[in-house]
Amino acid sequence: MSCNPYMPIPAKLENVVRETANIKTFFVRPAKPLAFKAGQFIALTVPGIGEAPFTPSSAPAVSEKMEITIMRVGRVTEKLHALEPGADLAIRGPLGQPYPLEKYYGREVLIVGGGVGLAPLRALLFALLEDASKYKKIIVRYGAKTPADIVYRKAVEDGWGRKEMDVMISVDKRDAGWNGNEGVVTKILSPDKLKCNPKEGVAVVCGPPIMMKFATLELLHLGYAPENIYLSMEKNMSCGIGKCGHCRLGPYYACKDGPVFTFDRIKNLPKIWD
Amino acid sequence: MVPSFFSSQKETVVYKLEKTRLDDFLGAIAKGREVYALERAESQYHLVRSDSWQAGKHTLGAFRQVEPLKALVFRPRELLGSLGSAALGAPIPERIVIGAKNCDVAALKIHDHVFLNTEPVDPSYKEVREKTIIVSCDCTDAREVCFCPAVKEQPYPKTGFDINLAPTDLGYVVEAGSERGKQLLKKAENLLSAADAAILKERDQNRQKISKKVCAQTEKMGLTCGADLRQAVEKSQGKKIWDDFAADCVECGACNLICCTCHCFLLADGKGKNNTASRIKQWDSCLYKNFAAVAGGANPRRHRAERLQNRFDKKFSFFPEILGSYACDGCGRCVEACTGKIDIREVLKRAVNEL
Repeated sequence: MSCNPYMPIPAKLENVVRETANIKTFFVRPAKPLAFKAGQFIALTVPGIGEAPFTPSSAPAVSEKMEITIMRVGRVTEKLHALEPGADLAIRGPLGQPYPLEKYYGREVLIVGGGVGLAPLRALLFALLEDASKYKKIIVRYGAKTPADIVYRKAVEDGWGRKEMDVMISVDKRDAGWNGNEGVVTKILSPDKLKCNPKEGVAVVCGPPIMMKFATLELLHLGYAPENIYLSMEKNMSCGIGKCGHCRLGPYYACKDGPVFTFDRIKNLPKIWD
Repeated sequence: MVPSFFSSQKETVVYKLEKTRLDDFLGAIAKGREVYALERAESQYHLVRSDSWQAGKHTLGAFRQVEPLKALVFRPRELLGSLGSAALGAPIPERIVIGAKNCDVAALKIHDHVFLNTEPVDPSYKEVREKTIIVSCDCTDAREVCFCPAVKEQPYPKTGFDINLAPTDLGYVVEAGSERGKQLLKKAENLLSAADAAILKERDQNRQKISKKVCAQTEKMGLTCGADLRQAVEKSQGKKIWDDFAADCVECGACNLICCTCHCFLLADGKGKNNTASRIKQWDSCLYKNFAAVAGGANPRRHRAERLQNRFDKKFSFFPEILGSYACDGCGRCVEACTGKIDIREVLKRAVNEL
């Protein structure tokens, strides 16, 4: 962290890879190594334009540089998408709380992603794979709007080259070349598609609010305990350190106490899916 | 370890100051510091900056000034620096605030919690706070909108000050509330004598009298002092009360900006001199439509009623939960500032009545 917690350190944009029509992965090198843990986020600044929060999508073990997969959706991401390699950026973090991986040891870990929501989950996946033997099983269920909206498509389709992983994809709407599952992601969360023991497992979900809502309902229905469902709450995280007030969620600040919350902590709060 | 400005120590140092020596006393303790003091303007007081205590022009004031004290420590707009060089602004001078009232002093507990006692520390807040001596004063009168007894406060400070002055017919009771307050009093030792039982009795009677007055005017509004506001606000979630009051809200944000406890702010980037990228921190308002909106368009408080309810939820549910006290000290500034004439006392009264 810089000596002023609101101020970032310089960073360089080294490379840009297009994932889909409106999603790109940015390869960023901070001026000083910036170590983060899976689940934590950073604030990325386009100098003179503004700052926005993102969860890195690369392996947390690497601190010299990171990959951040970003959808073009607002003022800052619009500018980011227009940048070329070599551009000056600035970065602040790590912010927020990491996934409590030690609680996952010896258990089946189900990762449920929707759209660009797979991006932050990729960092978690890399952290899990680093120590794969510690977990009973790693399962990925990913939903995208169309085949063209699948991020990291090649890697996802061959299960990151790891045969022990159980990966399944579904698209809301198929195209001519698609032979896989069709339908919203909850379709591939049904008991016949999911050979696991929900009562003892943990589920980690990230995606658009509507997908998070229905995925959570499905997971509860399957028998996952509310305290074993980990949700990434998308709120307006500005300062990232629990001071500016924008991301309040009941008695919590999403930036400081989250952004990942287990369902039991937030289930009674109003309007969590908005 | 960050020092706490709100000591829980019961042992206090109390002196008596003759009425005629007030200006000498304030002149002595303010010497060498930037002074923020109260100045009368018709029926109000304003907090003004000066380089010394000015007898005749400055006053201790009978009740709180127009401007919230928070503006001195949590500045309305602050340049954080330019990207790449997080240089802070020029160092600020040692300062002294004279005449602060309990609502404003108590409000600093909220700001201290946010900016000082929760890691990471806000370096600029810390610097300003450490360089600001607070000389508070008992209220001797109240504005019509004052309602501190309804939010578990009282019109005189119990903690959070460096020095407190209590005006009485027998002179002033001067109390040190912190170590630096004690040290500062040494500068004016020759003007002080031990406080006797008579003046302390007089002070306590004054305090009872003004407390009764503020309580009576609050209850005349229909708001019971001591009512459980947390429960009332929590149980009001989603009820019609918020639609009804929000119908008059024009989203100007005045209530937030004038509030002695509101601490929300915005970080905004832009280009400064020589086209350098810079960042500012400035006050924000939770009544503004996009306060909680995210880039994708989702907005948990799309409707004005939700935003108004959120303001009360933050003050009467969130802060009691995390800090054990309301984030409202009954200063009544929002009542006077509101363009739509929404009266916080009316809102709380209805919430309590609908329990």
